[in-house]
Amino acid sequence: MTAPTNTTGTRAVGSPLGGHASRIQRAGRSLPFSDERHLQAHHWLVEEAYLLDAQRYDEWLDLLADDVHYLMPVRVTTALGAGYDTSPGMAHFDENKYSLSRRVARFRTEHAWTEDPPSRLRHHVTNVRTFATDDPDHLVVDSAVLLYRSRGDVREAAVISAGREDLLRRARGGGWLLARRTIMVDDAVLRTQNLAIFL
Amino acid sequence: MTDLDLVLGDVRRGMIPAHIYNDEEIFRLERERLFGRAWVFVGHTSEIPQPGDYVVRRVLEDSFIVARGEDGEVRALFNMCLHRGMQVCRAEMGNASHFRCPYHGWSYRNDGRLVGLPFHKDAYGGEAGFRRKGQTLLPAPALDTYNGLIFVSLDPDAPPLRDYLGDFAFYLDYYTRQSESGIELRGPQRWRVKANWKIGAENFAGDMYHTPQTHTSVVEIGLFREPKAEKRKDGCTYWAGNGGGTTYKLPPGSLEERLRYVGYPDVMIEKMKRQWSQAQLDVIGRDGFMVSAASVFPNLSLVHNWPRVEDSEDVLPFISIRTWQPVGPDETEVLSWFAVDAEAPEEFKALSYKAYLMCFGSTGMFEQDDVENWVSLTSTAAGSMARRLLLNSRMGLLEDGTTVVPPLPADRFAGPGEAFVGYGEHNQRHLLARWADHLERPVEKLAQVEVGGAAAQNATKAVSA
Repeated sequence: MTAPTNTTGTRAVGSPLGGHASRIQRAGRSLPFSDERHLQAHHWLVEEAYLLDAQRYDEWLDLLADDVHYLMPVRVTTALGAGYDTSPGMAHFDENKYSLSRRVARFRTEHAWTEDPPSRLRHHVTNVRTFATDDPDHLVVDSAVLLYRSRGDVREAAVISAGREDLLRRARGGGWLLARRTIMVDDAVLRTQNLAIFL
Repeated sequence: MTDLDLVLGDVRRGMIPAHIYNDEEIFRLERERLFGRAWVFVGHTSEIPQPGDYVVRRVLEDSFIVARGEDGEVRALFNMCLHRGMQVCRAEMGNASHFRCPYHGWSYRNDGRLVGLPFHKDAYGGEAGFRRKGQTLLPAPALDTYNGLIFVSLDPDAPPLRDYLGDFAFYLDYYTRQSESGIELRGPQRWRVKANWKIGAENFAGDMYHTPQTHTSVVEIGLFREPKAEKRKDGCTYWAGNGGGTTYKLPPGSLEERLRYVGYPDVMIEKMKRQWSQAQLDVIGRDGFMVSAASVFPNLSLVHNWPRVEDSEDVLPFISIRTWQPVGPDETEVLSWFAVDAEAPEEFKALSYKAYLMCFGSTGMFEQDDVENWVSLTSTAAGSMARRLLLNSRMGLLEDGTTVVPPLPADRFAGPGEAFVGYGEHNQRHLLARWADHLERPVEKLAQVEVGGAAAQNATKAVSA
């Protein structure tokens, strides 16, 4: 069985703001689940999910490489064979570290009303596959994420389902940093009032 | 039961029965009497530049294929097969010479003409039983464009779009005609909010008053250069024709200095000077006002702002266009596009796009706090207590109906319509007064099209764009 190819990382090349992003791609099939590199990557994703659930965004920023590219394309419904399923030149997120840091700084103010009171968040991370790259200091990691976001006590919770392709880079002092993330959300029309959260 | 006359009377004097923001009965009337005849924005010609390009857009439940035919004409075709009513196009964008119904295989050219009808002779006896010739997907009753913005109306007797827009076209040019080539659109981002559609339209039309409170955080993080959010009250609101908006007051300087202040490069400024009328230039250069948010009745909004996008003093302007597409009385689908002058330098386009993402749209930092308010208003408006509450929307008016400040005289505001400096709810009242005008007028009986009958020689309305 051949693992389905996943080339979402190449989308960064087509993004208007992804010129600075690392171009490193996966090499070969997914690593065995017993591989030390897979265990580290999976561990990293789970630890990250806890930070995002708790909205500990300053610590989350520390997990991002300085040249991070954080992309969430807009998905569109197109005919089979159209050759594309994202909106050309448009995204929900198309971020570098500066713009992400502004978003985090805003949550730190006392006036980011959309998250005051805060949402109750749960990032469910699953279907993790790790791939080696030609560079021993980089791994490509695919995962599925289901975000449950509940606000207040009147409205139904919002659910966002997405696939992610991450590029992890070995950090100098040990551990891993996120160098690139592409979030392929499964909705063409988002069913949440905004994306004042991260995936 | 709601006494409609009473509701509309209250709205007209600026007292808003809170339940109109979440009321099934009101929504039914809006569907029939307002969206059944107003001009509704569905897209821009730059989204479908090539023959065969199409996007699918809705006016409430009605799905239209907005397509450019092989002849280059733009049409809006009702997305319903003439046979059994299936959607003939289930993608939201693409390029196609034909649309084939998946049910029985009827097929239509991208100008709407029915060209394929399987077993026409065997099943119908050919033309004698079903006249295929001249049959087309139902065209939108009216379609027209302004600066490439495509509008449709479900009313075949709708006034010409240019007349409908009236003097608001003067302001629309700031957003959509900065050069001879006009804008190109990207997107839309689409998402649903549990809020009534009118709230966003009112907010963009004239609510400068919410900025210092709702948007404090974006000033605090340095996204927005103006040192204090209170700066907003030095701007003016204007209403002209079928739309209105808000402005910021710019620091003293020449036209060029003021356009540079909001981040436009000289190469774009030179084009604006050639493109805009003297009066359009005077609003900026002489009077010192720069357009920001605006709405066209009923549910099209625009925004122009100039945040910092990197860690520097420089700001970058962006333009965004959006519709508040009603889904129900308590739910709205937002379609939000990024717009940029087609002739702008590529680097400007990229940074302007970044500015848009940081400020508005599904992830925009301005937007996030707005929607939180509107969702909460909508859910509270559903109950019986809301029926007892008349919200005061009379800001800018004294009890006797005179205005708190006089309108700007012509020598201080070169634009058409009526403009007031400072906070006021003049534009929200204008918008809701038009809403009331539509809701009180019953619709005439609709003309029906008999498929395959002799009377069905409906011509497809199209425009050159």
